[in-house]
Amino acid sequence: MDFYGLTDSPVTLVGSANECPECHGVSRVANGSCIGCLLYTGMKEGEEVTADELGSALQLLPLTDYRWRLGNYEIMEEIGRGGMGVIYRARQRHSRRIVALKRILSHYADSRDTLIRFRREAEAAASLDHPNVLPIYEVGESDEGVPYFSMKFAPGGSLQVVGPALRGKPREIVRLMAKVTRAVQYAHEHGILHRDLKPGNILLDAQDEPLVSDFGLAKWLDASSDLTRTLTVFGTPGYIAPEQAEGPAANLTAAADIYSLGAILFDLLASRPPFLGDNAISVVRQAAENPAPRLRSLVTWADRDLETICARCLERDPASRYSSAGALADDFEHWLDNRPIVARPVSPPVRLWRWSRRNRALTAAGLGCILLAITAVLWQVHGNRLETSLRANQLASRSVTVLPFLNLDTVHADEATTLAVARTLQTNLSRLGPARVSPQIEGASRWPDTGYLEDISKENHNLKSRTVLTGSTRLVNGKLHLSVRLMTAGNGEIIFARSFQSNPRPNAIPALVASITSPISSLLNATDWPSISRTEKDPGLKDPAARDLIVSGRQLMFRDTIQDYDRSISCLEKAIDLEPNSALAHAYLSSTEASRAHFSPDPEILKKAEKEAETALRLDPDSREVLRTLAGVLYLRGRLKEALEGQLRAIEVGGPEEQVAGFRGMVLLRAGRPTEALPWLEMASHWASSPGAYESLIGDCWSFLVEDQRAQAAYMQAMNLRPERFDGWVGLCHLKLLQGDMGGARQLYAKYSPRTVGANLPGNDNSPQELLAQIEFFSRNYDTALELYTQLARDEPRGGVSSYGAMSYSSALGRLRQVTGDRAADLFLKEELTRATEFFQGSENPADAYVLAALEASLGQANRALDYLQLAVSLGWLDYRSLQLDPRFDTIAREPRFREIISVLINKVTGLKRSAGQSANLATNGD
Amino acid sequence: MSPDLAADGNEKAGHFATTRWSLILRYGESSAEEGKASEALAELCRIYWRPIFAYLWRSTSSPEDAKDLTQEFFLRIMQGKFLQHADPGRGRFRSLLLRSLQNFLRDHHDRDKSQRRGGEMTFISWDQWMAEAPSQLSVPASIVETWSPERVFDVRWAATVAERALRRLQEECEGQGRRHVFDVLGGALTSERDQVSYERMGRELGADSAKIKRLLHKLRLRYRQLLREEVAETVEKSEDINEELRYLVASLAAGATDRVEPT
Repeated sequence: MDFYGLTDSPVTLVGSANECPECHGVSRVANGSCIGCLLYTGMKEGEEVTADELGSALQLLPLTDYRWRLGNYEIMEEIGRGGMGVIYRARQRHSRRIVALKRILSHYADSRDTLIRFRREAEAAASLDHPNVLPIYEVGESDEGVPYFSMKFAPGGSLQVVGPALRGKPREIVRLMAKVTRAVQYAHEHGILHRDLKPGNILLDAQDEPLVSDFGLAKWLDASSDLTRTLTVFGTPGYIAPEQAEGPAANLTAAADIYSLGAILFDLLASRPPFLGDNAISVVRQAAENPAPRLRSLVTWADRDLETICARCLERDPASRYSSAGALADDFEHWLDNRPIVARPVSPPVRLWRWSRRNRALTAAGLGCILLAITAVLWQVHGNRLETSLRANQLASRSVTVLPFLNLDTVHADEATTLAVARTLQTNLSRLGPARVSPQIEGASRWPDTGYLEDISKENHNLKSRTVLTGSTRLVNGKLHLSVRLMTAGNGEIIFARSFQSNPRPNAIPALVASITSPISSLLNATDWPSISRTEKDPGLKDPAARDLIVSGRQLMFRDTIQDYDRSISCLEKAIDLEPNSALAHAYLSSTEASRAHFSPDPEILKKAEKEAETALRLDPDSREVLRTLAGVLYLRGRLKEALEGQLRAIEVGGPEEQVAGFRGMVLLRAGRPTEALPWLEMASHWASSPGAYESLIGDCWSFLVEDQRAQAAYMQAMNLRPERFDGWVGLCHLKLLQGDMGGARQLYAKYSPRTVGANLPGNDNSPQELLAQIEFFSRNYDTALELYTQLARDEPRGGVSSYGAMSYSSALGRLRQVTGDRAADLFLKEELTRATEFFQGSENPADAYVLAALEASLGQANRALDYLQLAVSLGWLDYRSLQLDPRFDTIAREPRFREIISVLINKVTGLKRSAGQSANLATNGD
Repeated sequence: MSPDLAADGNEKAGHFATTRWSLILRYGESSAEEGKASEALAELCRIYWRPIFAYLWRSTSSPEDAKDLTQEFFLRIMQGKFLQHADPGRGRFRSLLLRSLQNFLRDHHDRDKSQRRGGEMTFISWDQWMAEAPSQLSVPASIVETWSPERVFDVRWAATVAERALRRLQEECEGQGRRHVFDVLGGALTSERDQVSYERMGRELGADSAKIKRLLHKLRLRYRQLLREEVAETVEKSEDINEELRYLVASLAAGATDRVEPT
């Protein structure tokens, strides 16, 4: 009840939207009639009509209600209907008690087996006795043998109806969910999974106590659409766990119910389930393929802990969710008591917005790209169904589709290798039994072999193979480097991976393939692939306590606050205490430490991160997670070459997925290799889960190459695809700046900055504020620039190094204090120089050398400045336009060496442009 | 609602049947009727528990307290304290009940808190009531917040009357095996002629427009009758019915301000 008991199940109307046009009353009864008007009919003149007279009038209509009894019950009205069942309000004959009665439709009740199963499951559900489980009174069968069960009639409606009235009352929502979750826990303890938790299955009694209904009975009552039935799924899109959408029901665990509880909580808080779509298929697909949206991306005022709880429940990997409904209920209760929740082990953090401003994209692309073990497990689910259908066919089971190998040097399909591998493998396998190897070259996309599910399942649909073989080639010091991966078709789970090196002679490939024939053959005969998959192997995922710590640690690392990094570090260290041999824990720890060091420069922690990455690598040298982490840490350490090599290893081991491709593109760009960066960024863009995420980096590539029109097009594309983000227009604006058109840059800034919601939020290396400061600085509006950089540096004293033009705040500030007559400026610059020299020691990142050059130049150390500049150029600095405009270099701008450096850069860019023109053509033709 | 609850009163030929309220008002005249009167009162209280509960909830801001108080209020009434004020000619059941409720709440505030809370008392069973006669109103939340307890009481009262008459009409249709007719036509009881699509309804019910039109007319007249019977149960004389209806209609208008009914 709500609204002071005015109504049993409130349907709120906002304002007086539903005012009656006749009497202006605002209250209506269930069928929509205005109460005032109903009463008014009583005041009208009119003849008196008795019940009998009405009866005679009614009898004139030919239509009669279908009235019937079911066992001991009189059916009063139908109140719900699902695919296989129907629900009535009914009255028990002798007690006159009103009940809800559910029965399965007779055409589903035609086999004896079905009836027995229904009865057994209904009786199991009836055995549950818990204050928040809707009691089942009786399980019975009508005279015609139609099975039914009766249960308490809950007059308060379901959460589906009442949910909107709870909006904005998180405490009430959590109090209610805590009870629901305890009820689910109780059922789990009695061996019963619900399988279809959703708002409509949570009823409210007159005291507004939640009552969970239909435990384990979902499939009898609510297989509501054809889609779900063909998938043999029972559940409701929007609330069912992704594994439920594909896997056989028998494999479900408590984690599926926990997912649904999270989805309900999400729905109550956000007024919509986590995934929406035009139809059930698209909802189910989204849940299977995408991470759930963060609660606070929809409800900005929502509590962070509740967001964390939702996210934990909605993890795609069942193993990453709460370990039990009890654990979730504990967290709800902790939250209600204002105690720290367990999903986040330490007290709630105070979010320091200033940390979030910095370089989020880099962290996200570089460190955050660590592929979560989860994807693999999810894929496995997809594969189950397929596998079953294929198991019967022996030839099909020994069948391999060979997808195009990727040439990592050119980032194109290597057809010759693909065919050679396929041919050799067919010959070799046939000696060991029936086998079918089908190369798939025709219609290969420009980026084959991505390991993406879509690709693999599409190919598989055509070829009906059980496995997919693919790999990559590259030349290393004149030697051919060949890597192969064998994956299960349909889910992309890697079950075998190996790399070889050989002199590039004609029979090199057959020789290499011969050496893997035998292991591949035995794998083709194996049936227990899930146990082979490597993600399952990490000891840290086996021990529940360690797994919880690893999952919590990983979640915390993406929050980008120092406190959360520290908490993440503490979780992961504890996990390592429990499972010292968990490569995953070491890799995540390394990643967190590196991020922390990146946000708040600390060489010691960075070194520690490096050590952890090496430990992880020692424990599991072939893990893509580990290799990617290592690459991220190396990048942050400024060891770009090793980082790039690490990325290639990660691709060889695990395939080129979006994030690793995008990360590689970014590192290549930073290393002054925009032409090489482009194909990787385009590949990442092609596969981007968030379209438009890589377009501004592509724009930066073109901008480095002084291809301004192309750059402009890419930035515009970024704006179109992600209008809420600022990276596109900031790029556009920066382009104007590089062209020396400060007025134009200012105009664009004025035009777009107000349109960008949350421009203060992280999203890119280059924030609008940084850009504005740079425009004013480069326009020589020193006073304004000084003010802007002072603000920026107040929040992040060490910021700005990776922004456009390597405008580190402190170097800009030093120069600005100098030119505005601050006597302490030189001292400040010297201190910064000392600090930066130490921090950038040995870095291969051209931006770092460039910042040192700027500091030296400001201090009037022309030779040292030019040496550093030369170093920056040799490391890959390309942006000569910025260099020409940058006031930090005003003191050395007339030096002949400076002019020489500029002309070297112009020549270099021209040379690169030529090759870029070629790949641009390829890009146009290849799609 | 079980059939025995339905009043069998009718106003034919100027005869105003003995309704519950008139019976109660005559309490005391004859001790033989005392039992009957008290039974009638109990019945009326059960019918109109929602307005009482809503008033108490709005006044105390706590549904839990309101539930306890509702039970306590009923017990007090049944102990006869209420009927002492129910002299013939003293008006309608609704207004007397509201006055008693106001007094009850005032007394209640004055009393020591430790004395109240009769947790054991169950005059009405919420669950049973809400299962038997569920009520689902659309009420604008934002406006409800501005309503006084008295206004909440009146609106809930009006809704109870309208819903009870509707439920009786539905049961009469069900009794004839024509529940479906009620489902289709029940929403058109108040609509003006030009707003009603007889054709659409006819298609659903398998009859031509003319037949539907006639049937709807009959349903409206019957609803009017049932409504008047419901109201009659709570007033003393048949002349009071229109006045009571007028009061309730006025209390529902959006612009209606809280007011005190003239006595």
